[in-house]
This record gives sequence, C-alpha cells and structure tokens, in this order.
Amino acid sequence: MTDAVQFRVLDFDCPTCASNVERALSRLDGVESVDVHYTTGRVEIGFDPEAADREQFEDTIKKQGYTPQVA
Amino acid sequence: MFRLTAVVPNRLLNRYRTHRKLAIVAVTGLLYAGGWTLGYLTAFDTASAVIIVLAAVVGGYDIATKAYYTLQSRTVGINTLVTLAAIGAIAIGEYWEAAAVVFLFSLGSYLEGRTMRKTRSAIQELLELTPDTAVVLRDGEQVEVPAREVENGERVLVKPGSRIPVDGDVVDGESAVNQAPVTGESAPVHKLPGEEVYAGTVNQDGALTVEATGTGTDTTLQRIIRRVEDAQEAQSPTESLIDRFAKFYTPAIIVLSIGAFALTRDAMLALTLLVIGCPGALVIGPPVSIVSAIGNAARKGVLMKGGEHLEQAGTIDLVAFDKTGTLTKGETRVADVSGFETDDTEVLQLAATAEKQSEHHLAAAIHEAARERTDGPIATDGGVVASANRPEKTIPDPDDFEVVPGRGVVAHRESREIVVGNQALLGERDIPIPEAALDYVRKRENLGETPVYVALDGSVVGAISLHDELREAAPGVIATLQRDGIETVMLTGDNERTARAVAEQVGIDDYRAELLPEDKQTVIEAFRDDHTVAMVGDGINDAPSLATADVGIAMGTAGTDTAIETADIALMADDLDRIPYAIGLSKATRANVTQNVALAVLTVALLLAGVLGSIVHLAGGMLIHEGSVLLVIANGMRLLRY
Repeated sequence: MTDAVQFRVLDFDCPTCASNVERALSRLDGVESVDVHYTTGRVEIGFDPEAADREQFEDTIKKQGYTPQVA
Repeated sequence: MFRLTAVVPNRLLNRYRTHRKLAIVAVTGLLYAGGWTLGYLTAFDTASAVIIVLAAVVGGYDIATKAYYTLQSRTVGINTLVTLAAIGAIAIGEYWEAAAVVFLFSLGSYLEGRTMRKTRSAIQELLELTPDTAVVLRDGEQVEVPAREVENGERVLVKPGSRIPVDGDVVDGESAVNQAPVTGESAPVHKLPGEEVYAGTVNQDGALTVEATGTGTDTTLQRIIRRVEDAQEAQSPTESLIDRFAKFYTPAIIVLSIGAFALTRDAMLALTLLVIGCPGALVIGPPVSIVSAIGNAARKGVLMKGGEHLEQAGTIDLVAFDKTGTLTKGETRVADVSGFETDDTEVLQLAATAEKQSEHHLAAAIHEAARERTDGPIATDGGVVASANRPEKTIPDPDDFEVVPGRGVVAHRESREIVVGNQALLGERDIPIPEAALDYVRKRENLGETPVYVALDGSVVGAISLHDELREAAPGVIATLQRDGIETVMLTGDNERTARAVAEQVGIDDYRAELLPEDKQTVIEAFRDDHTVAMVGDGINDAPSLATADVGIAMGTAGTDTAIETADIALMADDLDRIPYAIGLSKATRANVTQNVALAVLTVALLLAGVLGSIVHLAGGMLIHEGSVLLVIANGMRLLRY
C-alpha cells in the first residue's frame, strides 16, 4: 500500500540544500519515493503508511532547518 | 518540565517562531557590533572577545545543527563548510573573522530565503483568487456552501462583483467577466447562456447562474497552476549542465583547500577556500531567472512548458502560422452566393442538404446562410421561428453523403446527386465548370474568400463564396515580428489565389497554399533545416505540426487539456499579441541566464584569485560570496516585471 503526501517548503536557500533534504527523506524507513523541488518548494513523498508517517517527514525537514507547510 | 510559555507571553513566542531567522541575525549582528565597539573603544580585550565569540555561537548554532544533520546524510553542504570555517577561525584566534563570517552568512541566507519565498508564492497567490464559498441553488433555495463541496451539475448563483467559484456553463443571465487570472486578458469578456466560465474569474455587472462542470481542485485555474509549477520544476539544459558541474566542483574545492593547507600551512587560506567552495550563485542563478519568467508569463495567460522551451523560444527566427482559426477568427461565413441559371436560394438549399450532417468546416456556415434565407426574419420576441409557418422551406436531409477531405462533399437525395466542393473535386467527378462560374470564383478568390461550386446531377448550378475574417491584431503582430527580424509564413489548405490575397492583407512574408494536413508537417520539417521554427495553430487539429516544429504554440487553450498538453507554449486566450511577447520574454530570459552565469563565474574566479593572492580573507570572501548570490537572485527576479 502506498500513500502520498505533499508539503510546501518556501524557505529553501540553495538548490544543493534542497537535494540534501531529498536525500535525508529517502533514507527514512518506509519511504518509497521523494521529489524535492527547489524552485517551487514542492516536496512529494510516496511512502508505506505502516512504516512511516507525516510527522517523521516534518521532523526531518525541520531538522535540516526548513519549515514544512501544508501543501 | 520547564515551559517557556509559562514565562514568556504566547504572542511574543509566536512572533519569535515566525521571525526566528531574522531574530538570530539581529542578535548576532548586535553582539558583533557591541563586541567590536567594546574592543575598539576600551581595553577590555577578553570581554569583547567573549562577546564576539558569543555572537559567532548564537549565529552559528542553527548553521551547525543543519551541518550536523546533513552530515548524517553523508553530504557536505555550505552549512558544513561555514561551520568548519567558523570553528577553524576561532581555533586560531581569529574571533572577528569567525563572527563576521557567521553573521554575513546568516544575513545572506535570510535574505535569500525571503526573496525566494516571494518568487515561489507568486503562483500560489493565484489560488487564493478562488472564493471559499459558493451560493448553490437547492430546491429553489439559496444555500451557501464551501466552494469545494459544490457538485458537478449543481447550479451556482454568482452575484455581480463577486468571483466565480466553479468552472461551469452559464444557464441564465448575462454579464461581462474579467478572465485575467485564467487567460491573462485584461478586457472583460461578454458571457451569454451556453458559454463557459472559469473559477477564479471576476463577474462584473450582471448576475449569472452557472451549472458547475469543475469544482474544488478540478478547475481550470488549478490545472493551470499545477502545470505552471511543473514547468518551473523542469530542469533546462543549462541547469542540468550546471548541476553536473556543481557535483564535481565542491569536492574539488575541498581537495584544493586541504592541498593549500598542506602546502602553505596557512589555515585562514584553507578555510576561506572552503567558504567559496559552494557554487552558490552559479547554481541559483538560472533557476531564479526561469521561475520568474514562467511566473510572469503565467500571469499574462501564457503557459511556457519549461526552461528548455524558454531557452529554445529565444532562438526562433521563423514563425509559421496556420491560417484558419489562428490568423483568422475561424468563423466562416457565407459572403456571397451566385446561381448560374438557378435561383440563389435554391443553390444554398441544395448545398445545405448535402452538408446537412457533415462535419465539413464549411457546413455550419452554409447552414446558417440557408436557414436565414429559407426561414425569413426570425421573430425577435424570442418566440418560435417563422419557419413553423412555412414547413415546405426547411432543409431536407440527404439520403446519403460522403465527405472528401480537402475537396468537399458528395450527397444524394431522391436519386439526384449534389456535389459541393472545389475545382479538384469537380475535376475528379468529370463535372465541367462553365466559364462564368470560373470567372466568379476567380473574382472572389482575389478578395481572399474561399468559394465552392455547387453541382446538381453533373452540372454546375451555382457557387457559394465563404469568408473567414482576419483577426484585427494579425497585421500588427506580423509587423512586430518582422521588425524583430523574424520571418513569417502562412500555411493553409486554401487555394493559391485566396491564400495570396489573405497573405497580402495581413502582410506576411511568405505563404504555402493548398496544403493537406500532412503537407504542413513536411513544410515545417523543411524549414527546420536552416531555421529555428515556431508553429502557431490550435492545439487540436494542428497538433502534429505543432509537435514537428521546434516550438509549438497553441492558441485559445484555456479549458482544453489536450491542447495544453501538445503545445510547448500554450496561449490561454485567442490573443495573437502574446506571440511577440512570448518570444521577447524568451530572448530576455536567455540573456538573463547568461548574465547570471557570467556573474557567478566571474565572482568565483575573482574570489579564487583574491584568496590565493592573500588579498581576500574569510569575512571578505563570505561577503562577496553572499553578495553575488543576492545579486544573481535580484537579476533573475527582474524577469517578473518584463
């Protein structure tokens, strides 16, 4: 079963930093696909809801120093 | 657990959270200034040093945390580099440099974040134009519901002066609607029952009842915004190139830094090299230019599919226009009828019978004219048409008919054969054309009209001349393109004479006539040999030609998903003026991207030289680095106002 969630991060300050977030998210258990776009701030995550959840993603994004918002 | 909220009022805490970055920058700056002044004015060296280091710590805390977490993902980013540089500087006693680097980086980051936020939310703001609630008519009552909950088929009442909450068809009422958010048109469009309206547009003076066809996230506006964002996210060739370069650049700089330290034992040198090791301006420049350009275009009702298309569109030197529906309004009307030893009206009726059920593009026009003549004046009180009194005059159905593509229609009725078509069709069927008919046709063609012959049982009984009016903007747009050094060509299925007449009327450089649909593609391919070709047409019938061209431009695509899909540049409205605008914007974007790349490369080269030549140090390097990033962003954002 795959669930998908979308965030908006409006404060990415550098394209490499955005791809760091992508990498960090994809290393989480249960995450099947991650798409992070520096230009529009869109973050799309495909995941298995039994292995991962929204809060984890929000935490990971916040730890990298950014503010995840509801898409 | 000690709770901060118990001590500090909630309001203050919230403000801190939203403005955290700014707060940290401010505190860091103050501490730095304070410490520096203290050290300068007094002899309290240790005290000032402590304050300076404190500044570095306050400012650096967030940076260090980010660095820590990125290290966990095994990547090295600017945060890591800056943290290392700051720690290194403190370690060798360069407190001022450490604090300055941290302060400048935080400030730069904050400003970058703010400006990028503005660029990013420009499109999102369009979404806020759709009202949250809608007034639905249920069981004769007006009920206010969230706009999202309106169902397709329900009737929505839109009062004058309010925004339309759903996509739909007008079923009652008449008004002028400002469609700028969707099509970019600044002039209001008159809407009558039966016409389509879009969510997010403004209803001006009349009340409208609209039957919903698209609600919530399924509206034209939402679809456009999604496509705009997809376009902004697509990586252009230049961006891919820079991306590949950046992946190799940062590790290379780290190696260089270690090497420099090994060679010179100069810690400051090595640290400064680290700081400029992030390709910052180079990587941020092109995306900002492209996102801004796409955003600008979207607001003008032009959807550019991506950076790649922008870059290509800037090199266009030939624009091919389809004639019907693009240069002309696409509303064919019967301009004249001429019967040869036959009554004009009868000619029309015969033709209308033949065309009665065909999809031939001239059918509707012939029908319209035949109906006008047959039924007489239509009652103006909106009542039953006068034909009810003259049933023998309604248009009869044919027994069978066949459409010959590019030529016309052949039909049979009561064992009589009616042929409506051009010279080619009549030639195929061995129907002779009398001199008088040929003359008539030639005369009308020279006026830019498209005449067709009408033959009954093998002999020509008359001819009908049809006219498709040129768009008013057409000659002006052609002239503008020519002035900008772009060649213009018209492609049409019309005959040679008509095509030449229209070509002269519109002022186009060249034209190709009598083209079958496949021919258009061949012509475009031929042009591509020594030109960058743009093709303008409607996105549905001309789809193959649009796909063959280097840049396919579709007109009037609002609400037509297939058309938007095929085109590289989709014009929401039927506005030819957008074509010179789109090409101009693309050229400006190319220039802008080049400026940004040049700026970035120049800055890095100068910085490298400066650092290696010991002229530039940590704080100075950071200042110039951040400055170049902000400069590149500011330059890119200029395209928002093109």
